[in-house]
Amino acid sequence: MLSRIADSIYWMSRYLERAGDTARLMEINLLYLLEAEEDMSEGDKWRPLLSITSAETAFSGLYGEGQITQGRVLQFMTAEKSNGNSIRTCLRLARENARIARDRISREMWEAINELWLNVDQQLKTPLHPLRAGQFFSIVRSEVARFHGLTTTTMMRGEAFGFYRLGTFLEQADMTARILDVKYHLLLPDLNLVGSALDYYQWAALLKSLSGYEAFRRKYHAGFRPMDVVEFTIFEQEFPRSLAYTVKRMRRALVDTGITGKQRSPAAMEQLESMLAGNSAERIFSTGLHEFLEKFLVAIAALNQAAQADFLDTHMEEP
Amino acid sequence: MAAISSDTSHKPRISYHEFYTDGFTPREHYRPLWEHIQSVGQNAFEAKVHESQLALHAEGVTFTVYGDSDEGIERIWPFDLIPRIIPASEWSIIEAGLKQRVRALNLFLKDIYHDQRILKDGVVPAELIYQGKDFRREIMGIDPPHDIYTHISGIDIIRDEDGKYLVLEDNLRTPSGVSYMIENRVIERRILPEFFAKYRVRRVEHYPALLLEALRAVSPRGKGQAEIVVLTPGIYNSAYFEHTFLAKEMGVELAEGRDLVAKDDVVYLKTTTGLQRVDVIYRRVDDDFLDPLVFRSDSTLGVAGIINAWRAGNIAIVNAPGNGIADDKAVYPYVPDIIRYYLSEAPILHNVPTYQMTNPEERAYVLDNLERMVVKAVSESGGYGMLMGPASTAALRKEFAVKIQEDPRNYIAQPVVQLSRHICYMDGELEARHLDLRPFTIYGDDINVVPGGLTRVALTKGSLVVNSSQGGGSKDTWVLAE
Repeated sequence: MLSRIADSIYWMSRYLERAGDTARLMEINLLYLLEAEEDMSEGDKWRPLLSITSAETAFSGLYGEGQITQGRVLQFMTAEKSNGNSIRTCLRLARENARIARDRISREMWEAINELWLNVDQQLKTPLHPLRAGQFFSIVRSEVARFHGLTTTTMMRGEAFGFYRLGTFLEQADMTARILDVKYHLLLPDLNLVGSALDYYQWAALLKSLSGYEAFRRKYHAGFRPMDVVEFTIFEQEFPRSLAYTVKRMRRALVDTGITGKQRSPAAMEQLESMLAGNSAERIFSTGLHEFLEKFLVAIAALNQAAQADFLDTHMEEP
Repeated sequence: MAAISSDTSHKPRISYHEFYTDGFTPREHYRPLWEHIQSVGQNAFEAKVHESQLALHAEGVTFTVYGDSDEGIERIWPFDLIPRIIPASEWSIIEAGLKQRVRALNLFLKDIYHDQRILKDGVVPAELIYQGKDFRREIMGIDPPHDIYTHISGIDIIRDEDGKYLVLEDNLRTPSGVSYMIENRVIERRILPEFFAKYRVRRVEHYPALLLEALRAVSPRGKGQAEIVVLTPGIYNSAYFEHTFLAKEMGVELAEGRDLVAKDDVVYLKTTTGLQRVDVIYRRVDDDFLDPLVFRSDSTLGVAGIINAWRAGNIAIVNAPGNGIADDKAVYPYVPDIIRYYLSEAPILHNVPTYQMTNPEERAYVLDNLERMVVKAVSESGGYGMLMGPASTAALRKEFAVKIQEDPRNYIAQPVVQLSRHICYMDGELEARHLDLRPFTIYGDDINVVPGGLTRVALTKGSLVVNSSQGGGSKDTWVLAE
């Protein structure tokens, strides 16, 4: 297939997934704040979210330092046009990439993404009221999920599907690592401390941000031990947003896109896999969770670049 | 060539009504439809209109209007639910006339870019061709596969005050609208299936299959080895929806210039697995932008070297470069002569009488009567660069008078033809609006005219401008089986 179209499908998935993940993150943070301690400042409540999405610089560029309020973050993360990661921007770019690849994706996929964009663009013409925001995020989340469902049932398997999955899982892995990194910093990294009410809400919020709360509860009955949360979000093979699961799917997607004969992506993929194979939560804690996640994010970025070089940047070689 | 018209043509004449015979009585072929519309009732019909809007919106059936912003404005395709119906007897004339016209214009293009017999014989003035902005001397002597230039034509047809079908203009470069013809049908059948029960409407949705067959037919490596691409300027082009539609319907790649590369007179696609040879390019990029080595050197939309690959016979370019000279509005008055010259036949479809500004006598007449004229810049299309005399201001007429005197080759004038009218559903009322018709002709192994076309409607009451870029609408167009 055309390199440019492959690129568009890949980025369509990434932007769409990012919009859905951001919506979930915002929704959980809004709910979590209702239950958070009263002496927490608005800035403290919302700063982590800016940090997860690497948006602090852009935010302070727009509003100045020390001005983190709920209203501003809400506006910035949903509608702000200058924020490359706002939900509106992500959906606009997802839809634009879908439009470029319109002849390669199914009619159902195009209609879903087109309607989602039109709907969100319309809704964000007026500022989102905090009390209405939860519903808005919930719609974005479920529409993204609907898109994935339609894609699974209508898109031909093969190269293009491979790029769609590669983009989706790479974005998911990236988001899981970021959420874990930032949230973990906020939580006391005392491995044995379990049980305070604050801990409960914060760990629950982290797991809910990854749609993993219920699954975690079912599997672990000893409360929220940090070791268990890390085990679950990094190594749990059955949890769809764990790093282990997403990396496994990325490998499969890469095979679908035609990895044979490529130079860079197989090496980058192996690098990513080697960070998980033979590793464990205990070992990660002993060398530092933050250090591990930072390295993992670098490896993801490297895979993105390798895939770009192997498949998406134009080739001049003859077959 | 048009003679100076007598005074009678100055009297405002009443346009032909497609639907009614006398303002109350529907024509015979509209009667079943009329009865049905009456039985649907206002509220139900209103709901259908709403439903059709939602469908067009959700599907993203859009066209782009060039505006102040770089990105253009994407608009939903405007569509009127009441179909236009063309009886079989009328269609057979249109069909025969279009085939004849396309065949003659194709021979004309071949001649102009080779021996130029028609110029030597003095049937068409040589300077008219040489001065034409769209005459491409760079392609003289090139033999396109199968000698076909006009693979896809969209020749605009109107009906005059007597209901006679006339050719308004020839579009032989990259005519657009065929996707909307099909979408109109798809929507109409989904929203008002009961309409179709009363008629035997001929199908139009197989157009992409006919197009694909024609593209395969001109592959230099033969039908068995026909790698085809649709070449688009990109998502900001007004017809981008159509480009994706056609690529998707035909199952071929939709490429931009940067996806293609020419090496040693062979054109390749840049794919994820390397370069892949291309045989046929259905390009929707204008000549000017097609090859920076031959035409505009600043173009980033085209492919460097594509013309040489064409010259070497390694690819087919559809439509052929250089076609613009045959649909130049200054050449248009000569088309009936062109038909007689190459085919020795009488033209089946007539032209609208046209004054040529290079003729001093005709020019003087037009300048004296501008408020009764439609003036068109020969190199413009899509309703741009036009003067609609009766609706114009004195200042605008003065501006055009100066332009005409400065560059007569660049303008033609026609008496205002009151385009035929049809009922349209407008804000809860049935109102008459002017319309035209663009049928689509495909020239591959054979010449095919798809039974139907794009009916464009002037949405503003009394307006004669139907282009979608100027705010026009559209209707599903039904050609009836015998």
